[in-house]
Amino acid sequence: MMQVGPSAFLGLAAVLFTLGLYGAVARKSAVMVLMSLELMAVAVNLNMVALSRFVTPAEMTGQFFAIFTMVVSAAEIGLGLALVLAIYRQTRSIELSSIDSLKG
Amino acid sequence: MAYVALIPLLPALVFAVMAPLSRAMRNRVQWLGVVGVGASLLLSIAAFAAVWPGGHEGEAVYHASWPIAQVGGVDLALGILLDPVAAIMLLVVTIVGVCVQVYSLGYMHRDERVGWYFAVLTLFTAAMLALVLSDNFLMFYMAWEVMGLCSYLLIGFWHEQEAPRKASQKAFLTTRVGDVGFAIGLAVMYATVGSFDFEAVLGSADSWAPGVATAVALLLLFGAMGKSAQVPLHVWLPDAMAGPTPASALIHAATMVAAGVYLVSRALPIFEASGVALTVTMLVGALTALLGGLIAAVQHDIKKVLAYSTISQLGYMFLAIGASGAVAGMFHLVTHAFFKSLLFLGAGVIIHAAHTQDMREMGGLAKHLPVTSVTFGIGALALAGIFPFSGFWSKDEILYAAWSHGHYTIFFIALAAAFVTAFYVARLWFRVFTGPVQNEHLAEGHAEMLVPMGVLAAITTVIGFSAPFFSEFLGHDGHWPDPAIAIGSSVVALCGLALGWWAYGRRHLVLNTRSLKQRAGSGYTVLEQKFYFDITYDYLVIRPYMRATEALSRFDRDAVDGAVNKVAAVWRSAAERAWSFDGRVIDRLVNESARAARASGSALRRIQAGRVQTYQRYVLGALVLLMLWIVVKGA
Repeated sequence: MMQVGPSAFLGLAAVLFTLGLYGAVARKSAVMVLMSLELMAVAVNLNMVALSRFVTPAEMTGQFFAIFTMVVSAAEIGLGLALVLAIYRQTRSIELSSIDSLKG
Repeated sequence: MAYVALIPLLPALVFAVMAPLSRAMRNRVQWLGVVGVGASLLLSIAAFAAVWPGGHEGEAVYHASWPIAQVGGVDLALGILLDPVAAIMLLVVTIVGVCVQVYSLGYMHRDERVGWYFAVLTLFTAAMLALVLSDNFLMFYMAWEVMGLCSYLLIGFWHEQEAPRKASQKAFLTTRVGDVGFAIGLAVMYATVGSFDFEAVLGSADSWAPGVATAVALLLLFGAMGKSAQVPLHVWLPDAMAGPTPASALIHAATMVAAGVYLVSRALPIFEASGVALTVTMLVGALTALLGGLIAAVQHDIKKVLAYSTISQLGYMFLAIGASGAVAGMFHLVTHAFFKSLLFLGAGVIIHAAHTQDMREMGGLAKHLPVTSVTFGIGALALAGIFPFSGFWSKDEILYAAWSHGHYTIFFIALAAAFVTAFYVARLWFRVFTGPVQNEHLAEGHAEMLVPMGVLAAITTVIGFSAPFFSEFLGHDGHWPDPAIAIGSSVVALCGLALGWWAYGRRHLVLNTRSLKQRAGSGYTVLEQKFYFDITYDYLVIRPYMRATEALSRFDRDAVDGAVNKVAAVWRSAAERAWSFDGRVIDRLVNESARAARASGSALRRIQAGRVQTYQRYVLGALVLLMLWIVVKGA
């Protein structure tokens, strides 16, 4: 049986984080950026769970943290989508490049 | 007897009421002055009756004192001392005062500042009464100075013109010279006795060191010489004739100039303790009597003749006091006060009628001014010393005092002065009242002017007969005139009158100024120049003083102002440098830093583009750099 080591989990998480990072930086739509952020959060969660399982199996610290992070990111995405809706009502657009009224 | 204090207070109160009023208001209440002095006259008569029959020398009938201040544990007090001398002086001052005030109602009625004139005249009377009644030298000095002030105000009453203005300053400053002597004398006196009271000072005068007594006496005499216009401090009185004529009658004939004589007679124990001072008094008096008479003989201004005659007669009084004839001196003071004020009031009528003071432009006034010519004649005869008028009696007593105390030289000087006096009196009367009429439209004075003159003429006529009683009233032995001296002085006076008549009273003038000048030569010039006193003072005092003030003003302008200007210039250039430093360096620093802040701000604002993804790229770049650094560093 093929042994699945921590590096597999960490590698997957790295791929996920990189995808999320790319999406967050490169996508135009605000909704897509939010989804990319979720992707990065998922990558982090995966890291924590994996490391907890392999490094300190007796304790469940990573799993607990992951649950916390999921709750927080759920709230965060709720807030983010509400913002996107509010911006859409104002400008009829959700393109991030057009949202620049906070420039100096 | 407390009403005695009201005698000086009532006129002072009148002044206090009149002074703050407006000019129009004051002009309307001018009669207040007459009322105030009149009330004083009534109270003075009462005081005189209380002192009657006198006969106690230096003994106070009434004495009261009110302390006003304490200096070094010693009370300074205002006090009232009523004794026979004071009682007589009160009567003289108030009678002459009332006469002059009533006369002034007529003389001054057209003047626009008549109210102020009456106010000052009343204050003057109040000061003289306070001086007469004072019981210490300090109060005496205060009243003395108030009189000096009033005299200044009255001489300079017509201050729109230059002559009265200058005369008032001259009078004030000349008497001030004497007053300095008086003040120093008071200081020495206080240092010696520790008191100003007449009683304490005069009672202890015998026990002073002779030098101290002489010093105090001479200093007091110096003050008296200033006030009573004795040589060499007499120069102010003739100029003081620039004031209104009734004021001259009151101040420069009857009362203020008498204050000096009164001071010497009050302080007589000090003079007697010294002895030397008494001789000096006599000499000063004799010199003044002769010089004043001689100068009066060549004056053309009618008031100046009377002024020099006043100086001469005051000299007589000093002579008398110096020759141990203080009572005679006081008696002459009294008689002179009446007949000289009478003469001045007459001169006022003459000046009003003739519109000039120059006797050469007068003549034949007797026809137009009958009352004045008679009353003036009575005054003139009294001045000349003709029986039965008052001057005869008092002059006779002075001559008797000089003779009986062995001062024969002084006696003959006095006799010579009497001769000159008679001469200029005759000259004055004949020039004014006889001879060719030079002006047809002449009017006799108003009734309010003539009545006071009549009163004074009556007093002048009868008061001489009181001569023996006067001495007894003051506590000395009275006596009728010594026949030999009386006849001798009368002959001398008649000779003087005759010479005056010969020269000026006949149809053709024997002597006029030009012929007199030719005959008398340089002697006349000396008289005309008044023995060069004014010129000497001009050269010795006034011009050096003016030069000194000019030098000081130059010093002030060049040295003091120069230094100030220099400092200011230095300060100014320093300020300009500081200003340019401020502009070039400090302001520039501030401006440059502001510009730098602005430039950096506009450079940095580009970073904040407002686009979230741009920021993310920065963060990503920073993350990459951070990780590279960790990798490199960690390796």
